[in-house]
Amino acid sequence: MKTLRPFWDFTAGSVAVVSRGNRYYYAWIALLVLLSLGGLAAWGNQFVNGLITSNMRDQVSWGFYIGNFAFLVGVAAAAVVLVIPAYVYQWGPLKEVVMLAELVSLAAIIMCIFFVTVDLGRPQLFWHLMPALGNPNFPYSLLVWDILVLTSYWAISYFIVTYLLFKDYMGQKYNVNFIMPVIFLSIPLAISIHTVTAFLFMGLKARPFWDTAILAPRFLSSAFSSGPALVLIVLQIMRRVGSISIPNKALFKIAEFLAYAMAINLFFLGVEVFSEFYSPTQHAVHARLHWFGLDGRTDIAIYTWLSLACNVIAFVIFAVRPLRYKLPLLSAGCVLAFGGVFIEKGLGLLLPGMTPDMLGEIYIYNPSLNELAVGVGVWSAGALFFTLMAKVAMAISAGELRHRGT
Amino acid sequence: MSPEPSEEDKPSAPSYEVATWAVIGAVVVGVLALFSVRCSLAPGTGRDYASRSLPPEPAPVLLPAPEIDDEYMPCSDCHEKGDPINREVRELEDEHDEMDFGHGDLWCLDCHDAGKQEMLRRSGGELVELEDSWRLCTQCHGKKLADWRAGVHGKRTGHWWGPKEYRTCVVCHDPHSPPFKPIEPMPVPKRPEEITLEASAAKEIPHGGE
Amino acid sequence: MAGNKKANQRGASRREFLKTATAGVGAMVGVPGAAEAFDFETFLQNHFRELSEDELKDVLQRLERKYSKKYRKTVSIDATGPIDGVVYGYGLDISRCIGCRRCVYGCVEENNQSRDPEIHWIRVLEFEREKVLRGINLEDGNPYYDHEQVPAEGKIYLPVACQHCEDSPCTNVCPTGATWTEPDGIVVIDYDWCIGCRYCMASCPYGARHFNWKEPEIPADEINPDMHIIGNRPRPKGVVEKCSFCIQRVRKGRYPACVEVCPVGARKFGNLLDPNSEIRYLLENKRTFVLKAELNTRPKFFYFYG
Repeated sequence: MKTLRPFWDFTAGSVAVVSRGNRYYYAWIALLVLLSLGGLAAWGNQFVNGLITSNMRDQVSWGFYIGNFAFLVGVAAAAVVLVIPAYVYQWGPLKEVVMLAELVSLAAIIMCIFFVTVDLGRPQLFWHLMPALGNPNFPYSLLVWDILVLTSYWAISYFIVTYLLFKDYMGQKYNVNFIMPVIFLSIPLAISIHTVTAFLFMGLKARPFWDTAILAPRFLSSAFSSGPALVLIVLQIMRRVGSISIPNKALFKIAEFLAYAMAINLFFLGVEVFSEFYSPTQHAVHARLHWFGLDGRTDIAIYTWLSLACNVIAFVIFAVRPLRYKLPLLSAGCVLAFGGVFIEKGLGLLLPGMTPDMLGEIYIYNPSLNELAVGVGVWSAGALFFTLMAKVAMAISAGELRHRGT
Repeated sequence: MSPEPSEEDKPSAPSYEVATWAVIGAVVVGVLALFSVRCSLAPGTGRDYASRSLPPEPAPVLLPAPEIDDEYMPCSDCHEKGDPINREVRELEDEHDEMDFGHGDLWCLDCHDAGKQEMLRRSGGELVELEDSWRLCTQCHGKKLADWRAGVHGKRTGHWWGPKEYRTCVVCHDPHSPPFKPIEPMPVPKRPEEITLEASAAKEIPHGGE
Repeated sequence: MAGNKKANQRGASRREFLKTATAGVGAMVGVPGAAEAFDFETFLQNHFRELSEDELKDVLQRLERKYSKKYRKTVSIDATGPIDGVVYGYGLDISRCIGCRRCVYGCVEENNQSRDPEIHWIRVLEFEREKVLRGINLEDGNPYYDHEQVPAEGKIYLPVACQHCEDSPCTNVCPTGATWTEPDGIVVIDYDWCIGCRYCMASCPYGARHFNWKEPEIPADEINPDMHIIGNRPRPKGVVEKCSFCIQRVRKGRYPACVEVCPVGARKFGNLLDPNSEIRYLLENKRTFVLKAELNTRPKFFYFYG
């Protein structure tokens, strides 16, 4: 294949690019590698001793890991949905914005896959999930659907990014008629990854806190409130450390989008609160725990109110034009939005769903140190992936990495 | 990299696009088919088991009543044939006074025959052996008789299909004070907070009861 | 079903592929501690429902050797199949249950449950009789009651274990098909196939499933050596387990352990398809209810008032 040799050069060139950098870059990479290794060691501890190293027990059998997973599928989807205007509506910006958003999405998907893997009791038997080799319970089990869409979405995203970068590297124009259908496919796939994850929770009639139709739209709205916020922060960092320029106009457009997204997110939250508290059934005990605590245990409630405060303040910053146009304030708003949604979709979704348990028992779960270590390790691995990929992408788009033709 | 088609791509546009869509479509269908091909193990099926049945079952066996305390047997040690009978309903003070009594408004001679003390007496006058005491209980507790014969009242051991044993009333119910006496429960289950790696290491967790 | 021969061929080629592919992984996974636990045969073992007769015999023998060695006692593991024309049903007389927990511990002994960490397949909830008059709210149930004697004044008791639902959410959601319903109605788990994702635990409305959060420990002298492969054989770390209706007993016609050990005869068991069985009698003559009926799981575990 005539593209094979240049592709190897591209790979070699990418490796060369990521091995070069200033001391901040090396420090950052070293930090990420260290944290990732720490996470790996913690996971090793979990693998050898069993999941008892976590604080999950029969009463709360899913916790920190699945919470992070649920949050990150949203981030992955939202980052790429930002890209829709660029491709579909041929809106202004810049290939850098699109590319970086795709890379954030890819990193998020990798983190999702890692989080699901570390949550398994016997991860070495992952092959049981493969078609033909194992026995995936398709189409009944939503976890199989989730794996299917996650892997496909990752594969397609990775393919799109690699194709576009490689074409740029070669100094060639990408074939729009080839790549557009693939991009068009990735968009519904992006929506589907967190819709299927929402279905995973919604399909459990045993858990009344999750058994609500609005869970899927809420996943969407919280994804769109947090993913672009992360992209906004990343763009600012990238234009500072990378040799790319991103006009503020692009950032403010994303912020405007965030305003709408957060508004809808808060609206959906309000709708759920009405439903739970206006005419509470016995099932409202989960919502009561979520907002007010039970039996004097207010741990979860504190986080819920904190998350609400973060989201509301973020919304105000996004919505009020004078505030939105102050970049430092906007960045703070993004951090708040990201944090607020992380709490809301992470532990705020899992714990009230699982507590009280199916026989009415209340076990208050907080992640153990080992779980946190693994979590930090996974986030670092994701950040590492992103950093490396972004470095290559920036180098290519700045013209630093080019194929020296035959 | 704004998505505008370049000039040289336009002529080949339709076939390339169609081809890509076709490939995508084929891949999607292929993946779904691949996942479905193993649907033979759907949730509601078992292995290819051989046909199996169990032999006809024998009738349930009624276990004998427990031995009665030697202290009171035989009755003829104290009661002589022809002794005068005091039919006044009263609390016994000299003998048979240490037992727990609490069976509604019943008293001794409602069940025990006054003349032949080793025999029980049904309300119609029929005398019944001590080991067939269940025939007295069921005079009043008729519904329980049906349930007991069907196996729904009372403890059964053995086989749900095969030899099984059931018990006569007095095995579980003291006829003088039939309600079940409270017993000591077995240990409390561990709370989730108590199940930790450190606790296991310290091996402070007991093995479970008998 | 597509015949065991086909499954066997598929299995053989799969094993070949995996053997080569995992040779490298095997070396990597040979870290201290994990090395002893990494058993190639077990790693590549097929799903229970796809094992051929020979493969099944191999699996049973391998497990028998393993557990006989581990517990210094000759164990026998069989794979007795279901009996024709039988679907099991269970009855529990809540007017009789005194909350003594003998069923809990009888089950623990019969089914080789881990003592450390403690796993109980049966959970007995204690309710205030007055509160229950307005309908059972499981919030009010307390499994940690600790009295000198039971039944305690003014309390009623509700033991809960796997309900072996006809429309079980757990079998539906398992991503690897490691849990399924057998033809005789028992919901079983292939412990060697389960990957420990715990989706089934999230989906069970009765909290009936339990996870091996660490390597289970059973004292050697308390092992029950009469085992069934999808019943009471000792489980590995990282898999889900639950009541199997004492499959090792009932498929030979015996009562489950909890039925036999209950001192008040509150537990009843039998064949739902046999009109003369104990279970059918109580369904026809007693007031029965099931837990969380609105969820449409159609349990085969019926509570009744004797």
